[in-house]
Amino acid sequence: MSQTKNINRRNFFRKAAGATGAAFALPYIIPSSALGKNGAIAANDRVVMGVIGSGSMGTGDMRTFMGKNEVQMVAACDVDKKHRDRAKAFMDAHYDNTDAKTYGDYREFLANEKLDAVILALPDQWHGIIGVAAANAGLDIYGQKPLARTIWEGRQIVDAVKKNKVIWQTGSWQRSVGNFHLGANLVANGRIGKITRVEVGLPDGNPRPGTYNVKPIPEELDWDMWLGPAPAAPYRGVSHWDWRWILDYSGGQLTDWAGHHIDIAHWALGFDKTGPVEIEGKGVYPRDGIFDVPVEYHNTARYENGLEMTIANARKLPFGMGTAWYGDKGWIHVRRGGIQASDPKILKEKIGADENPLYFSRDHAQNLLDCIRTREETITPAEAAHRSISVGLLCEIAMLTGRKLTWDPVKEEFPNDPLANRMLRRPFRSPWTLKNN
Amino acid sequence: MKTIFRSIFILIIAIGLLAIPACQNDSEINAPYKALIVTGQNNHSWEASTPILKEILENTQLFACDIAKSPAQGEDMSDYSPIFTDYDVIVLDYTGDAWPEKTQTAFLEYVDAGGGVVVYHAANNAFPDWKEFNKVIGLGGWGDRNEKNGPYVRWKNGEITRDLSSGRAGSHGEQHAFVVTIREKDHPITKGMPETWLHAQDELYSELRGPAENMTVLATAFADTAKGGTGENEPALMTIKYGEGRVFHTTLGHVTGTGRHPAVECVGFIVTLQRGAEWAATGDVLQEIPIAFPGHNSLSSWDKFRPYTLDELLECMEEYMPGDSRVCLQDLSNMIRKASTDTDKLKAIELSLIDFLKDDATDNAKNYVLKELSLIGTKASIPVLEKLMKDDDTKEMARFATERITNNYTN
Repeated sequence: MSQTKNINRRNFFRKAAGATGAAFALPYIIPSSALGKNGAIAANDRVVMGVIGSGSMGTGDMRTFMGKNEVQMVAACDVDKKHRDRAKAFMDAHYDNTDAKTYGDYREFLANEKLDAVILALPDQWHGIIGVAAANAGLDIYGQKPLARTIWEGRQIVDAVKKNKVIWQTGSWQRSVGNFHLGANLVANGRIGKITRVEVGLPDGNPRPGTYNVKPIPEELDWDMWLGPAPAAPYRGVSHWDWRWILDYSGGQLTDWAGHHIDIAHWALGFDKTGPVEIEGKGVYPRDGIFDVPVEYHNTARYENGLEMTIANARKLPFGMGTAWYGDKGWIHVRRGGIQASDPKILKEKIGADENPLYFSRDHAQNLLDCIRTREETITPAEAAHRSISVGLLCEIAMLTGRKLTWDPVKEEFPNDPLANRMLRRPFRSPWTLKNN
Repeated sequence: MKTIFRSIFILIIAIGLLAIPACQNDSEINAPYKALIVTGQNNHSWEASTPILKEILENTQLFACDIAKSPAQGEDMSDYSPIFTDYDVIVLDYTGDAWPEKTQTAFLEYVDAGGGVVVYHAANNAFPDWKEFNKVIGLGGWGDRNEKNGPYVRWKNGEITRDLSSGRAGSHGEQHAFVVTIREKDHPITKGMPETWLHAQDELYSELRGPAENMTVLATAFADTAKGGTGENEPALMTIKYGEGRVFHTTLGHVTGTGRHPAVECVGFIVTLQRGAEWAATGDVLQEIPIAFPGHNSLSSWDKFRPYTLDELLECMEEYMPGDSRVCLQDLSNMIRKASTDTDKLKAIELSLIDFLKDDATDNAKNYVLKELSLIGTKASIPVLEKLMKDDDTKEMARFATERITNNYTN
């Protein structure tokens, strides 16, 4: 497919959205004229997609999108040859051909593949650079949470998405699930009154000490590329799961799950474009092994309206995992697979059309595909993801500095606190840089 | 090397102990409160535990400790009569021959009149037949104690229960590390502590019985049957009111034989003992809970019974390789965190880190220090950073630190 043709098709989506306007209001229904033979969508009208980072999460996301008739998945990029070959095998089996392309370097992937959209499922240290590169390549994006490893990198992604007018959907899929939507919608529409307190319960993280020895780098793995902008480190077999417990690559379960339960808390409270004004917290860090993320944490974020949010290990909170909102007329708690309220009647309440119903989606992947055509915002745009992970990252900074911090959610800095401001961003290992212009 | 020094150190203290007379004001420490450790006989190694208790208490800088060493078992006890009333708190590390009656009376009068007592581990084995003493300690074990001594006390279904069924008193399964669960979160001793924390390998005292009058169970530990335990949540930390007196009772802290004693090196043991002693002496606790306090899944120990000094931490880090214990690394970070509002202290730490980076240490240790320096360093660090940027193994983290120190990341 030629470059010109690709750009033309992308323009088609944008123009079509502009021309038909309300016809594309959600839920999106594919007009029959766009369908090819046997109800299949004509190849030229399909959303051409690829995946960068085809490990377990990326492959899962890839197969979800591949299950949509309107998607044509064409290429996978991963620093592990086994992972990209596995992704190719799935694509080739699905389309019954041998066309899927594979890449080990995202820069070649972005330069050679003519895509409409890309799935990003990478270790956190890569989110900033590749997220910005994909947006600058003009691609619409399904990006895994947490948005970024630092607040500054998150802001760069948001800016790049805005500047390039691309559509971003975050992998914070709970927004597209009934019980989370119900709870958040009720809270957003005042059914438990004015919210004064929120509790967010997250998992502990991995309690076993990492005792990995240095190992030979497997032939299939480009370890230096896996590390990317993170500090140099010898290979210890952490590249496919246990990187989550090392601060160079992740903030642990706190930052991983911020993109779920803090995200839901913020959504209900209308905090998708703002953040706390004060943050403090305590963390317990492992004293053995190579894993260094906090496994115990208890943080408090205060917002301008006086609302206080506790973010802590689930087992330290009365409701455990999930999000609990406390209002002056009751409380609501949502978790995966459940919802409860101070009075069960609250959960039967309907939100009228004249109120402020929250964005509705029951299919997170489809929501992105719909928005690719309508050019509307997704249910979890980049800014919302940035604001939810910012709370997790602010907790991290408060625990690392050991003091109560004042935060300016507009300027996104700690006023008059140069030492804390240093932690808004991480220097990258050479030669990696992130220039957003 | 460190272990050898430690052994010698303890040996010296032990020799000193053997040489001192039965009761002496041996402390020259200037501290607001006086503590007396009652010792000299025990079914555990009091020769090892008493100097450790003394060190732990004196490390608070709240207590000057004297030691009241009894005659050896079987010897004449008639002159053993410590002057309890000279002290703010009496620490019992004794189980053995009966005290002379005048000493018993003096002890009870001291407590009744508002004295402070700390009952430590096997001290609750002492004096099964001395009724009033058992009221002071609340619960005891062994020494043919049974239902006549009082109920078993356990945490069941969300509350403390008393069980008067017949049976022996005092047992423990095999030694192991176990979780201590705080049941009274608002008591001065436990306030601010993690609700659950992992205690280092210890005997988990179980099936204790006693009058348990005016007793508050601050914390329990689950005696897992898999470790030969009772399957019950057994009391681990308690307070008892006896007359006007305040008693803190810890069942933790097994010490026997030579070598390391993990139970008393546990920061959880050390801090609860320090806070319990302060509360017994004063009725309140002003000490802070250290960042190094253990967590639900994380053990934490101080082999010097106190945090290392900055120099000790840096020395301890010199040979750090990934996979080694991170204790000294974490404690360095914790020290920096604690100093984060104190510019002078941060400056002093920075200078020590700069010196460390000039000396021999593993690249891994230097890179860890460079990361800390990236958070607190000033222009004073630049020369050493420039030097480390010339070394392949430290250049990236040196550049990392330089970038954070020289750039202003705000808008």
